[in-house]
Amino acid sequence: MSFASMLGGLVASNVHFVVVGGLAAAAHGSSRVTNDLDICYDALDDANLVALAGLLATWTAYPRGVETGLPFIMDDRTLRGAPILTLTSSEGDIDVMDRIAGVGPYADVRKHSEKIAALGVSFRVLDLPSLIKAKRAAGRPRDFEHLPELEALLALSKSKLSR
Amino acid sequence: MTARQFAVASAADIKWIMNSAALLRRRLRYSDSEARWWGLVRLLTEVIELPLKTAAAAATALLGVIPSSTPVTIGADPSHSASIVVDLSRYESIFLGNLSRARVHETPKRRGRPPQLAGARQALSSASRYGIDLGLIQSALARTPAERLAMLEANSLFLREMRRKQK
Repeated sequence: MSFASMLGGLVASNVHFVVVGGLAAAAHGSSRVTNDLDICYDALDDANLVALAGLLATWTAYPRGVETGLPFIMDDRTLRGAPILTLTSSEGDIDVMDRIAGVGPYADVRKHSEKIAALGVSFRVLDLPSLIKAKRAAGRPRDFEHLPELEALLALSKSKLSR
Repeated sequence: MTARQFAVASAADIKWIMNSAALLRRRLRYSDSEARWWGLVRLLTEVIELPLKTAAAAATALLGVIPSSTPVTIGADPSHSASIVVDLSRYESIFLGNLSRARVHETPKRRGRPPQLAGARQALSSASRYGIDLGLIQSALARTPAERLAMLEANSLFLREMRRKQK
């Protein structure tokens, strides 16, 4: 039950995804601790939907914050019907989204991502300017509270690059 | 549940729900069971193109059925050469996913927007005023992404273990 096991599982199952949210922020230097993995996945690729849903099913993924024990089918058809899912699983909490507010669908998210190697795997994370755009667009108090740190990170990383 | 959360849970536009509620003379209550009902009505009207009143009656009848994995037929010609079948367990799974998203993800938004920052200096002074330790950010930037995520993993596991022990 860790980010490493979730990311390792996604990569091993050949899921096309970009890490967004708190883990992407941490990769860029944010000191905030997050407990869930947020990913944006390619919803236009049928094989990708099957791979992601299959992996989530093996992790016994179930919607978070709702009554437990109700019947829940985790497969590609459910992902097509509910493309944004907030789940809890045997590997930890994971939010899967087919688009990111302020950035766009997977193709745009991928365009604004960079590849990193961490936790024993290589994967893509949303870049810092797009992460800030996403936080602004989400508009929840917890997103706004994160903005000063992310904007300072962007300013400092830019000045570090220009040196 | 806010109106926005209700719309997300029922996967329907809030204006459509309000207009349909007026047409059906149904009192609108932002509850889980109503979201489940409106979600099915929307599915039957927008996707299957059933008239609103027919869809509403079908949704009431369908959701009264004990959930089972067997699809339920809500309409068919006498020969059964054409029929409308609803897979309730599938609908319930998708509804549960949307309800979870409404509760976890679509929490109420803050009014207004934070100011757009003019430049790097303004970003740094704004962060300082907010109480962000810029030295902490500079030390984070000195590490590689792999080192930063290894630290996050360790902190996250520690917090999870603390919470587990508190239970």
